[in-house]
Amino acid sequence: MNIIVCIKQVPEVTDADLEITSDGTDIDKEDLEMVINEWDNYAVEEAVRIKEAQGGKVTVVTLGDEDSEDVLRRALAMGADAAVLIDEEGFEGSDAAGIARGLLRVVEEMEFDLVLTGAQSSDDNWAQVGLLMAEWLGLPFASLAVKVEPKGETVVVHRELEANTLEEVELPLPAAVTIQTGINEPRYVSIMGIRKVRNIQIEEVSAGDLGLEASQIGKQGSSIEKIRLSLPEEGEGAEILTGTMEEICEKAAQVIKERGGVA
Amino acid sequence: MNDILVVAEHRKGELRDITFEMLALAKRLAREQGGAVTTVLLGEEILALQEELSSLTDKILVVEDPLLGNYNADPYLVVLKELISRDTPYITLLGHTAMGMDLAPPLSARTGIPLVTDCIDVMIEESHLSVQRQVYGGKVNAHLQLKPAEQYILTIRPGSFTYQEEWDSSATVTKLPAPSWDALRGRRFIGYLEPEAEDVDISEADILVSIGRGIGKPENIAVAEAFAEAIGATLSCSRPVADKGWLPKSRQVGTSGKTVRPKVYIALGISGAFQHQAGMKNSGTIIAVNKDPKAPIFKVAHYGIVADLFQVLPVLTEKFKKQ
Amino acid sequence: MAHRPMFLMIGQAWIFYALAAIAVILFFGGLVLYLVTWKRVDRKGRPVFSWAAVRRTFEDAVLGKRTFKGDVTAGVMHLFIFWGFFALFMGTGVLSVHHYIVEFLRGRAYLVFSAAMELAGIVLVIGLLWAAVRRYLQRIPRLEHRAEDGLVLLWLIVVVVSGFMVEAVRLSAQDPAWRGWSFAGNVLAKLIPTSTASSLYPYLWWGHAVVSLGLIAAIPFTKLFHMLGAPASIYLQATRSPSGLIENEKASLFQLEDIVFFDACMRCGRCVEVCPSSGAGEPFAPRDFVQAVRKSLWRQNSPLGDIRFFMANGSQQVDEKLWYCTTCRACLEVCPVYGAAFEEVIKKRVEVIEEGTKVPPLLNQTLERLYRYNNPWESSKKRRAEWARGLDVNDITKEKDNIEFCYFVGCTTSLDTRAQEIAKSLVSILQAAHVRFGILGKKEPCCGDIARRVGELGLFMEQVDNCISLFEKYRIEEVVTSSPHCFHTFRNDYPEVLFRTRHYALVLDELIASGRVKPTKSLDLVVTYHDPCYLGRHNGVFEEPRRVIKSIPGIELREMVHNGPDSLCSGGGGGRMWKEDIDAETKMSEIRIREAHGTGASIVVTACPLCLIMLEDARKVQGLEDELKVMDLNELVLMSL
Repeated sequence: MNIIVCIKQVPEVTDADLEITSDGTDIDKEDLEMVINEWDNYAVEEAVRIKEAQGGKVTVVTLGDEDSEDVLRRALAMGADAAVLIDEEGFEGSDAAGIARGLLRVVEEMEFDLVLTGAQSSDDNWAQVGLLMAEWLGLPFASLAVKVEPKGETVVVHRELEANTLEEVELPLPAAVTIQTGINEPRYVSIMGIRKVRNIQIEEVSAGDLGLEASQIGKQGSSIEKIRLSLPEEGEGAEILTGTMEEICEKAAQVIKERGGVA
Repeated sequence: MNDILVVAEHRKGELRDITFEMLALAKRLAREQGGAVTTVLLGEEILALQEELSSLTDKILVVEDPLLGNYNADPYLVVLKELISRDTPYITLLGHTAMGMDLAPPLSARTGIPLVTDCIDVMIEESHLSVQRQVYGGKVNAHLQLKPAEQYILTIRPGSFTYQEEWDSSATVTKLPAPSWDALRGRRFIGYLEPEAEDVDISEADILVSIGRGIGKPENIAVAEAFAEAIGATLSCSRPVADKGWLPKSRQVGTSGKTVRPKVYIALGISGAFQHQAGMKNSGTIIAVNKDPKAPIFKVAHYGIVADLFQVLPVLTEKFKKQ
Repeated sequence: MAHRPMFLMIGQAWIFYALAAIAVILFFGGLVLYLVTWKRVDRKGRPVFSWAAVRRTFEDAVLGKRTFKGDVTAGVMHLFIFWGFFALFMGTGVLSVHHYIVEFLRGRAYLVFSAAMELAGIVLVIGLLWAAVRRYLQRIPRLEHRAEDGLVLLWLIVVVVSGFMVEAVRLSAQDPAWRGWSFAGNVLAKLIPTSTASSLYPYLWWGHAVVSLGLIAAIPFTKLFHMLGAPASIYLQATRSPSGLIENEKASLFQLEDIVFFDACMRCGRCVEVCPSSGAGEPFAPRDFVQAVRKSLWRQNSPLGDIRFFMANGSQQVDEKLWYCTTCRACLEVCPVYGAAFEEVIKKRVEVIEEGTKVPPLLNQTLERLYRYNNPWESSKKRRAEWARGLDVNDITKEKDNIEFCYFVGCTTSLDTRAQEIAKSLVSILQAAHVRFGILGKKEPCCGDIARRVGELGLFMEQVDNCISLFEKYRIEEVVTSSPHCFHTFRNDYPEVLFRTRHYALVLDELIASGRVKPTKSLDLVVTYHDPCYLGRHNGVFEEPRRVIKSIPGIELREMVHNGPDSLCSGGGGGRMWKEDIDAETKMSEIRIREAHGTGASIVVTACPLCLIMLEDARKVQGLEDELKVMDLNELVLMSL
């Protein structure tokens, strides 16, 4: 089973105080740690598990700057066999389609049975790249997978729907699947583990190598003219409700009704 | 060219709420442009759904076929591509749901129409379309101005729009034949899997009433339960309560329980230790009730009540029983 | 002339020699297997010579000093068995020398010999019967009832009793004049008529020979191996350098001392008795862990697999029980062969961490956080020095004035709301005493304790480098920590460093003794003190915190049942804070808080941020808020200033 996993490096924002850059197009990432996108981490784990069970090769691909090598190394330490880094130069300002076009060029040159991506990334939350690639590659696909079971010539996928329901579908191979969080328990990657894979060569390619033109990627190739980011309003700690018990509860009930959509 | 196309979403014979929400948006957008709202209904034996939609849209396009009976991206894509090229709506709306997320990007790739996902608001300006969405896990708002185009596809975040009214006319229905199915890629729908009848998944709830050690005894949980029921909330808890076995572990919120993001999180008698905060601090609105004014929960809550929860609950529950 | 006839009425003595040869071959063959397996486990391990180690081995193996610890009865009983057996064994040797080399056991020599053997045999029988009573009648909890336990005991009893029987029958048959010197046998002999004696004798003789030779042969294959293994383990553990780091990636994880300890373990169960995890009804027991690792090492390295046949059904699975151990060291405190089960647990964790798929999810996240943000609590470094806001504390990284020491606050104390009081109180005390100190502020890294205890050695080494370079950069030579864990790690797990580390209790003790800190306000309180494992047991700091407490006027200090080296772990160490899903009957911390409550004290004082958090939680869960407070030593002292 040869599997390609497309992964992305994103800033970790869970406990951080975010600031918008002066031009309003992005957040200030200087003090933020860069980590592997959570969904992609699940995808890598899933790919490695399938490989461990059935044999084959796992290749991870990312598009980013040289720091992105970290997520590739991590994936290699988890058990991936090869890694490709697409240099982000030329891709700045891309929308999801631009990124997908870049990854596509690398993926379509490889032999594979499965292409996995995370269902979305924690920075842009587009949830598009994996499926755009699937469509352009002409592959059968399924998104939001919480279970992936290769069965010879096909793969059975359980998709996560709302209200705790799952949808079971079957795809002929080769296929593309986007992975939802919680599909597995990603293994721990120890420092020693990363050291052990430090000698694996990471293949590097550029937009030029891939034969992509400016009109397809970057700002030119994007469907978005302008982005303006802003932070939501925030207060310092709770607004303590005062008054009689009756008044306090009246106010609280109001809040619950409004914000909770209770009639 | 001013028309809005809404792809209706239904499952197991019922229209899902997102359909109505999209129709509300579609109506506004269409009326602004002087255009019409067309709803696409794909499925098998969907007459009842068609009738339900009839008072909510200007036109309905129905395509019935066994292959469309349950959602399957393969045939749905073929039909939608045809319909979109036939009608060329300005904006095609899908839900940012398990179905819409699965369908929209491939549709965009197949038709070449630009796509923006997970929109919480849409604004038609003179020369272009703008949308509002959130990035970085909801921590940052993003206003996007799109490049001019003939058509757009948008997926709409559930819960962003509320449907209020019905329209006074009834829709014109056009039944179209199913296309030839030769461009399919072999995806096969097998079935739905229901979860085992185990305990509730608190991360699905819109409102959580969460109890902490302040509840005192298991016997007192009933008071909190009554309140939860009155407001249609699910009961959850902090660690000490789960540890003692007063509620199942599946109800525990926190680093070693579940991380939840309900619209409203009501913390009763929870001190708000760090581990608990980590599991709920990104909730929409947090209301905390605690005797101790210095309880850490008040740092992360939006509203606070410094009082004995047993004095608050009866009065608060009454407010909801009036309906 | 008194003597003992050899091979009396025994024809075909060659059969005896043949059997003896077989027994000896099996015995030595078994030993060779041990040596081969040990070598394969640790190719580079070699014993080194040390007089101190020899002395300790003599004290503990020969005099049995260690077996008396915590269970005097067991010590006496074991001494009886050991000396009885040893004497009889030597007696057989002496007899062989007499028979094959020089016949000196005649006359007086023989009589003394005879009496000595008699005494030895009786002592041995008493010991064995005592052992049986303890295991099967008294049902002492730590003693198991496996087939091997019963069989070995029975076998020994049969050997000794059959020996007496042979003697009795011989005395009856021969009726020598000196039979009185074999007093026990003599009593038995009086019960046996001479006629039957002669016919019985060969049977009994052969019977005794077979079971005795069988016993020798069985030694390597049963828990009797501890006769050889225990002294070896005691010696090797005494020559062992303190828990060093495995710096070389290729060095074997388990070393000679470890595998010898595993083989020396005779399942006495003292470790289980004191283990707080077992005590709380959790699925972990040090004995089971040790045996499981022993089995897996044998299966991997021995040419014939695991030769301890009675453990054939034992599991070599370690799995998620591995994460229950708090590394509190209670096991090492009592193990008769100085085995540190908790260190072995950590070594096994190193393996599991590297493999990656069996790491508990919360721990997984915690280690990632530790790596990126230098603390296990949150994904950000920004709140590290928040606790110090408004307290006018000198930040060494900004301006290093002339300071007496660097106060290394630690991750938990910096970030947990309750634990922050430790730092705030200490700062108040130090400022009131005009002690010049500084903190590292936002730049303070993690000491690496968590990484070390859960086996993430790569991460630990990175954190060591971090800390050392920071200390070197700011030329810090004196470090005072809030947490006993940081204290322990800096002192014991860091390579040679230029800074001295002390826990704040030591500093408080000194400051009070020198009069710089004056607890003058009388507090009319009864308190009890909970020894944190990493301050007390691991580092021997018992007296200083108690002196500090007693220096406060009006305080009555009552000790809990388990205090000092016997202190009961509160459950916060060894990475356990970050283990979800603890499957226990009663939580460790609740057992401890109940014990504290039982002293009648109104405050339980501790000196560790993790203990503080664990005990506070337990206090709430047990509903003791109105009756018992949990305080850190600093908070108590501050109340009296």
